[in-house]
Amino acid sequence: MKQLIDELKAIPGVVGGCIYSSREGLKETNLPGIFKADRLDAVGKHLAKLYSAGRMSFNDLTDVSLHYDESVVVARELQQGLLIFAICDPAFNHNLLSMSFNLLQEEFRNGAYARPATVAAAVAPPVVTRVPVLNARQLGLLEDMKVKLGRVLGPMAGFIFDEVSEIWERQGGTSQRLGALLELLDKEIADEDKSASYRQLIATELHAFQEG
Amino acid sequence: MATAKEFVARVNSIDGVSGCLLVRNDGVLLGQTIDDPEVYSTLMLISAGLSRGIMEKAGFSYCRHLSFSRNCKRNFYVFPIDKYLLGVVQRTDAYLPDMLEAVYRLVGRVSSDNTAAAS
Repeated sequence: MKQLIDELKAIPGVVGGCIYSSREGLKETNLPGIFKADRLDAVGKHLAKLYSAGRMSFNDLTDVSLHYDESVVVARELQQGLLIFAICDPAFNHNLLSMSFNLLQEEFRNGAYARPATVAAAVAPPVVTRVPVLNARQLGLLEDMKVKLGRVLGPMAGFIFDEVSEIWERQGGTSQRLGALLELLDKEIADEDKSASYRQLIATELHAFQEG
Repeated sequence: MATAKEFVARVNSIDGVSGCLLVRNDGVLLGQTIDDPEVYSTLMLISAGLSRGIMEKAGFSYCRHLSFSRNCKRNFYVFPIDKYLLGVVQRTDAYLPDMLEAVYRLVGRVSSDNTAAAS
């Protein structure tokens, strides 16, 4: 379940998150140590009450946000009695966080976080079977690139990578045309600093691949 | 603070605001432009107390506002102003940054510590 909040932390402006259960209290957190667990537990308890009060007034409630001078707290109910909340800088991108909450909520409801990671990986469908021109080693490289993109773009990375690699495939993507794939990804990242970070992140994999 | 009704009328005229209400922290409704104000005022009182609790536990300094986002996009905002609470219902087509800035400006004019106007 920690994977849920780790994905949120990749979003610019998100300091970290917590998962709070009404029955069990604080379950997971990846916030800096300055946020003590007992205090986060109390915050979670207050948020759960606040969310319940909001739900009583609005049956289509999605998020509750609290805008303090130095931080913003955003909470979403994953399922009854289970809350995920993020603490963010005031300038965070609320739309991106909401979209990430939507995706995580959907994945959570589909049971994606109920299985141990190893089992999930074992039963996951092959990611790029639609690229038959690539061999297993090349597919492995694409998978590594996809995972690393998550560190730059957060939870949306998987979807973006799949879309871009489909376009790349239609344009005749082969292992000799990885530069074209990187250019397409640059356009989606739309931020020079992030693009540079991403290229640094995948440099080792690309180098190892090209070395053979 | 300007008279409550004047203040409520000014907030209500902000582009993007569908309706609003002003409540004192003891629950007395001072003015409103929305139906069923009791539903909102109860939520405002509860949420103000809980947001203070979160502020103390997390070590934050001041709650500027809190919001309840809804699928229908008629989001609801609560602005603490001294011993009062202002509730605002957003129009579905509102441009949020402009609406919030306009509300903050009005809140800053009537708030005794002017904290909300500082941004």
